[in-house]
Amino acid sequence: MVGSTSLPRRSGELVFHDPWERKVFAIAVTLCEQGWFEWDEFRQYLMAEIAMAEHAAGPQALASVLPSYYESWLTALEKLLCEKGIVPAT
Amino acid sequence: MSAEHSHEHDRHNAPPDPRLEKHQSPAQTHILEERVQKLEALLVAKGLVATEALEELAAVYENDIGPLNGARVVARAWTDPAYKQRLLTNATVAIGELGISGLQGEHMVVVENTPSVHNVVVCTLCSCYPWPVLGLPPTWYKMAPYRSRAAIDPRGVLHEFGVDLPESVEVRVWDSSAEIRYMVLPERPQGTAHMSEQELAQLVTRDTMIGVARVEVKS
Repeated sequence: MVGSTSLPRRSGELVFHDPWERKVFAIAVTLCEQGWFEWDEFRQYLMAEIAMAEHAAGPQALASVLPSYYESWLTALEKLLCEKGIVPAT
Repeated sequence: MSAEHSHEHDRHNAPPDPRLEKHQSPAQTHILEERVQKLEALLVAKGLVATEALEELAAVYENDIGPLNGARVVARAWTDPAYKQRLLTNATVAIGELGISGLQGEHMVVVENTPSVHNVVVCTLCSCYPWPVLGLPPTWYKMAPYRSRAAIDPRGVLHEFGVDLPESVEVRVWDSSAEIRYMVLPERPQGTAHMSEQELAQLVTRDTMIGVARVEVKS
């Protein structure tokens, strides 16, 4: 029986658009589950990246000029891991 | 917004918004790929992650975790009044009774739609979403138009999703906090008294559990 809930992504869109998105998502989740940071710590960085991106571009900006959602995710993760001393400062 | 609600073409997304069209150039994609590869290599070298495990995790979120879980919860609540009470009192535990739990579902609250109250869920600041019951959020949920407008003009947003509520219905917007993740318990539609729990679950779409759609019975 085919239904909109029988396959999680049968809602008209893919969960991840590119392999790098899958990868950065999995890295963040894995490191959190291992205890390297609380999810809320990551969330703080993510909110900041999203806010910076959206405010810099202005309220009428097209999505095409904004960092994509997972780019904000990647930048947030890099900054968090740098603060934690897990990755070197760039 | 199309009025079609067939399951096979369940595109219950916001109307096309040019601001949501993300056209990433190959050069941009390449730069992002390189950043991620560099990060992964560094973490692998430190023994913190393993490539195969990362792939498996992503696959689980792509294929195994999704709104079917939430639909089971809804169908159980519709058919078992005692379960519904437990769900509304302590959602995390009640959802766990069905074997559903995990990251981003540690502090669940289920809000019930009634003839006089319609609930909508949003995360105004980022994209907080109850992964164990709904999977990962759709793109529109994460984007600025929904995030700001759902809080400021929920009736307008609902209208765009094809949901028009009389003024007598109160609209409640739940903005996810640091910890709490919300799921809407939609109203059971008329004409479903004969249905099994499994059949009921198949009526429940992701968008009805976010609160931007109502459950319908296919005619």
